[in-house]
Amino acid sequence: MAPATPHTSPIDFERIFHPKRIAIVGVSQEGLGFGAGIFVSLRLIGFEGEIFLVNPKGGDLNGEPIHRSVEEIPRAIDFAIIAVAARAVPEVLEACRLKGAAGAEIFSSGFKELGTAEGIALEEEIVRVAARGIRVIGPNCFGIYCPRSGLTVLPGPDLSRETGPVAFSSQSGGMAVDFANAGKSVGLKFSKVVSFGNGCDLRETELLDYFRDDPETGLVAMYIEGIRDGDAFFESLRRTTARKPVIVNKGGLSAAGRRAVQSHTASMGGSREIWQSILRQANAVQVGDMGEMVQACLAFSLLPRRTYHNITVLGGGGALGVAAADLAESFGVQIPAFEPDLAGRIDELLPKPGSSPGNPVDVANPFVPPKTLKAIMRLAAGDPRIDLQIFTSLLHHYKNMAMLTGRPIKAVTPYLELADDIHEVAAETGKPIVVILSNPKSGPDHLDVVDMFVDARRAFIERGIPVFAELRDALRAIGHLNAYYERKS
Amino acid sequence: MNKDQALQLIETARKEGRKTLSEYEAKQVLAAWGIPVTREVLVEDRAALAGALNAIGFPLVMKGCAAEIAHKTEKNLVRVDIRGEAEAVAAFDEIMAGLDGKGGVLVQEMIGGRRELVMGLTRDPQFGACVMFGLGGIFTEILKDISFRKAPLERHDAMEMMGDIKGHKILEAVRGMPAADTGTLADMLIRIGQIGVEIEAVAEIDLNPVILDGARPVAVDALIVVQ
Repeated sequence: MAPATPHTSPIDFERIFHPKRIAIVGVSQEGLGFGAGIFVSLRLIGFEGEIFLVNPKGGDLNGEPIHRSVEEIPRAIDFAIIAVAARAVPEVLEACRLKGAAGAEIFSSGFKELGTAEGIALEEEIVRVAARGIRVIGPNCFGIYCPRSGLTVLPGPDLSRETGPVAFSSQSGGMAVDFANAGKSVGLKFSKVVSFGNGCDLRETELLDYFRDDPETGLVAMYIEGIRDGDAFFESLRRTTARKPVIVNKGGLSAAGRRAVQSHTASMGGSREIWQSILRQANAVQVGDMGEMVQACLAFSLLPRRTYHNITVLGGGGALGVAAADLAESFGVQIPAFEPDLAGRIDELLPKPGSSPGNPVDVANPFVPPKTLKAIMRLAAGDPRIDLQIFTSLLHHYKNMAMLTGRPIKAVTPYLELADDIHEVAAETGKPIVVILSNPKSGPDHLDVVDMFVDARRAFIERGIPVFAELRDALRAIGHLNAYYERKS
Repeated sequence: MNKDQALQLIETARKEGRKTLSEYEAKQVLAAWGIPVTREVLVEDRAALAGALNAIGFPLVMKGCAAEIAHKTEKNLVRVDIRGEAEAVAAFDEIMAGLDGKGGVLVQEMIGGRRELVMGLTRDPQFGACVMFGLGGIFTEILKDISFRKAPLERHDAMEMMGDIKGHKILEAVRGMPAADTGTLADMLIRIGQIGVEIEAVAEIDLNPVILDGARPVAVDALIVVQ
């Protein structure tokens, strides 16, 4: 593979991620192909820049004139989106370069991924054009999502315009789109999401280098299948983690033993073992799947940057005490028992019988008023050992109260008050509170409960409170945070 | 042997079309990089045996030693805890017979110690030279309790990779045995990484076992694969 073009100035990246004028080459008037699809998506998400459409047939799309060639575009452009047939890509890319574009994303497929001589030759041609001075995302990708500029991936008309700290780069386009959507659902805010597909020019290392210095990016998440240059990637990773967290999901890890080797060392050093060690050596956070990556990003972006070794767990749910202690230990977190005096004061607030004032605090009754929970959390935060509190909600039980009183579940569930109280206690004590919203009532009979949970989640997220679906997810994410900040020098 | 001589040794082995160095050669290379190995003498002629026994002292270990033999134990080419000359002579003859005329017998100091570690080098297709540390001896393959670091290693990397294995407590003072000399262990790991960085011709290295003789680590067996 030819090397990437050696230098890209920050100004070029600024024009790639925040372009003022873009060209979409390869829009069809019939149907929603990639070109027309991205045009509509950009309009729907509210991209404010100028868009120039190109198709040799001309005409117009939703009232927007279609130019017959890139050369016909009347102004210089910053960025191009290319969705023409593979064979036409090199020429179009060169025309975009001559039109002043700093970069282009190429949705088209039909290149190296085919493994054919023609596909490989075409991709090499793209690399040669890129080396003349236009940076390329793709080919065979879904492009860039940047909430601040309004660029969006294909298909991403419904992504958020709220900018935030999370940058994500992904070889897989589907993964990029899913991550952007999953992130939106749980309250992650993105600086940039890049699906780079075949990654013939810009890919993992170049993007990591950019994200390291990007003031919009507070943490980097990556989905990696293969990498171009192990040494360069490792160096970039190490330098980046010294400044901000990097969370890596490496796909396609194989056990050792594929290669013909003679030593124990080589036979045990499969990609699984080596990647795990390399990521640890560079102090990157390794996650096993997208769910874990979303959760880790949530913890890294919402919790203050430090370690959390001693926590409280308050609330209810099956076998809370035992389960919580076991789980916490496996992620290197402690749930220290309260001193008798503190336990006594908490006990005075708890409903009887069935509650337990130690740590975890089992409130036993799901209808304990937020006011009481607030007082308990305030007392528990007074234990100087405690770094963070986890509240495990039992909101689904309000369905029973709704049925008994004949009122809608949203009217009887005090989630807004709870969100306000939790926010207040966390702010006043300086000890973050994480909320577990798990809903066992999620079937077709309980769509009102599901709906209420959506609102409750939003209420917490809007107040900056991290919400996880399961206690295990939260503890694992906190474990990642601890591992990173402990080893960051 | 100094580093230049060690490089020469590897070059010669490659020119002869060999894929591995003998244990004796491998240890000389390792020693040239300052890695502690057993004291040993290679005896190819029965007449030289007495001098070797004198130099090493009883009890000692005798092993068949040739470039292309691995799995010496399985091939019954290892005798341990030899305590006298008659026993040594008998062992010499048996081992030589098992070697079919290739190579010689390594007369080696016997390292007493119940804690066995493994160290090594592999070349990952993506990340290049990587150093391994883990539990050694028969546990290496059974437990696979190992960790890797990309070379070159900083001291911090070496210390941390020892802590990464599940059985890291084996390095602490345990059952009357002293805490391992982790400073020397770290040096060994760093130097294995240096060999990987400095000698492209070295494809793989195994030091298995590295035995803790009290606190002191010693490479008791070694394999170097050349490319």
